Parts: sequence; C-alpha cells; structure tokens
Amino acid sequence: MELLLSCLPPALWGFLSCAGFSLMYNIHGSGVLVASTGAAISSFFYFLIVDAYGSEVGAAFLAAIVVGVYSEIMARVRRCPTTGYLQVALLPLVPGAGLYHAMRYAVDGFYQTFLNSLVHTIGIALALSVGAMLSSSLFRALLPRLPRLPRR
Amino acid sequence: MPDYGKLLRLGTEVGRWLMLSGAEIYRIEESVHRLLNAYGTYPEVFALPNCLIVCVTTEEGESMTRMVRVSAKGTDIELLERTNDLCRRLCREPAPLDEALALVDGLGDHEPHNPPWLVLVGYILTTAFFAFFFEGDVWDAIAAGLCGLAAGIAQLYGKKLMGSNLFFRTALCSVLICGLSLFLCRLGLGHSEDAVTIGGLMVLVPGMSLTNAMREIMAGDIFSGLHRFAEVILVATAIALGSVLAMILGRVV
Repeated sequence: MELLLSCLPPALWGFLSCAGFSLMYNIHGSGVLVASTGAAISSFFYFLIVDAYGSEVGAAFLAAIVVGVYSEIMARVRRCPTTGYLQVALLPLVPGAGLYHAMRYAVDGFYQTFLNSLVHTIGIALALSVGAMLSSSLFRALLPRLPRLPRR
Repeated sequence: MPDYGKLLRLGTEVGRWLMLSGAEIYRIEESVHRLLNAYGTYPEVFALPNCLIVCVTTEEGESMTRMVRVSAKGTDIELLERTNDLCRRLCREPAPLDEALALVDGLGDHEPHNPPWLVLVGYILTTAFFAFFFEGDVWDAIAAGLCGLAAGIAQLYGKKLMGSNLFFRTALCSVLICGLSLFLCRLGLGHSEDAVTIGGLMVLVPGMSLTNAMREIMAGDIFSGLHRFAEVILVATAIALGSVLAMILGRVV
C-alpha cells in the first residue's frame, strides 16, 4: 500500500508535465487529457516496478507495454493513430536526462562513465520501443477477434 | 486510364504532410502505398526521414517517379490525425483526383494551431513539473519554469536570430537555459541546480527522438533509424556543449 502511494506523486508530475508537452505538440481538447493520462499511467507503473524490482530497463519495458495497450484502446475509441498518445505517454520515461548526462560526461572527458550511461540510456530507449511495439502488434493480431466499435 | 502525374502528386503530398507531422517511416510508406492502391496502381514507395520517393508504372509499362524533400522537423499531432483521417477516407471511397488533390492541398490551411501563449504555458508546465521528477522542490520548479519560458520564447520567436541550423540553435537554447538556471540558483530562487537545469533542458533533450529511432530500427527501417540516431547524438552533444559554455561563463563572471 505504501509502495502504491509513493508512486502517486510521480504520476501527478507526469500528468502535468505531459499536459505541457501535448500543448507543444499541437494536441487539442480532450486529446490533451487522454495523452496526459497515459503519461500518468506510464510514470506510475515505471516507479512502481523500479521500487518493487529495481531494474530501470525492465521497468521501462513493462510500463511501455501497459501504455501501449492503453494508447491502442484510446486510438480505437477515438479513431485516430496511436502515435500521438504513445509519444506523449512515454515522455516521462524517455531517457532525456540520461542522454544529457552521457554527453556531459563525454564533453568533460569521463569516457568510462560516458559509455556506461550511454549504453544504459540506449537500453531504456530500446526497452520502451520494444515494449510499445509488442503491445501494438499483440493488439493487431487480436483485433479481428475483438468487437468493432460503432463509427462516429 | 488515370492521370498518373496527378496520382503521383496526390501520393507525395499526403506523404509530405505525414512527414511534416513527424509520422513514423512505416506509416508514411504504408499510407502512400494504400492510397495509390485504392486508385488502382501498384506503386513502389521509399521514405527516409527527410525524403520520399514514389514510383508508379503506367499501363504502357513506362515508369514515373516523383520525389519530395522535407526539411522541417517537429511533432504536430493534429496534422498527423487529419492527414491520416483523410488518407483513410480516400482509401475507402476514392474521390475524383482533382477533388482529392484539393482536399490534400487544403490540409495545412484549415488546421487549428494552439495560440503562442498556450504553447508557452506548455513550455512552463513541462519544465516546472519535470523539475519535481528530478527531486526538486517548489522553488526549483518555479526556476525551471522560468527557464522553460525563456527557451519557449527563443524557440518561437528567435528562429531568425539563431539561424536554421539545428545544432547551433540547440546549443544556443542550451546556453540560455543553463545560464539562466545558474543565475536563478545564485540568486537563491532555485536550491538544487541539477533539478533546475535538467528540468529546463527537458524541452530540448531528444529523448523521444531516441525512442523513435529505436522504434524505426525495430520496425525494419534501419536506415531511417540510424539517421535519427545520428541526429539524436548531435543534438545531445549540442546541449552538453551549450551547458559547458554556460558553466564556464558562470565561473568567469
């Protein structure tokens, strides 16, 4: 319970910061809400798994699967491509800070640390993309068996 | 017999809009392919992040090619949704070519954009709340929000001043954000310099592009993936260099 509660603030930060990102990416109306809810879900699961299990790459992978399912469902409900929601929803997990740190180490001349953090960053990016692709291909495989939504 | 010139133009223009909106390569290739299929041709489509080539063979066996180069980069989800929607509609019930072309050409004109002040609010929200992510407190968030506001103003209005080169533009924005965060922390507004700086830099850092690059590679578009990956490394280097420059300035002044 305590673990679950400790993951709520990051979810809130994820929600609000990605509401900002969706304004920058020209998303309108209820789309902002949908995309930032995805971001909240992704950061919640990420921090939950990091706290419970400890692996950042594994956490990114599992959180990306959850968010992938969420954005596929939302794309079916709202009849538009998943890309938008997925991009914004993954943003809190995306290893921007890691990339920045890695290049800072390179510029400052700490090559061993640079390589370490670059590989780690690429690992997270790979986990995110594989996770998101996994759930979307699962969805596509299952789609013919799912009931069709009425056209708006 | 269809007018192949117009058909090619239809296909490439749809592709161009998709590229401008930041769509993935496989989506661009698939959309153009399906669209031209719906009009009864069997095209070959090849897309790179900044270039699209479409080739069709006419009934006489001649081949015709059209290529577009796209330089602008960015993410515009509204445009992506509109283009995707139109493309699907045309695939379902192909409109007469001239009508379809007019529809595709009009895509950019009627597109709603968030007003600049709302985009700036977006910059502030993003940077402020990312500062919390990196264990900053409320004051750090305020300082990061100010850095984000400065970066947003520079990105929106300073394009002429900073030139069109992605590397230099990013480096200049990075100097601005890091310098401002140093300044604000020295003033005593921000407490954790790290949280303010990284929170502010989140609007520049190409974390999303890195994930997209990996996605392209996983989807089999290895060329495009490597192209994007190289760009990510360049941009990240620009940010790091900019932050070092700001540090040096901070030591000297």
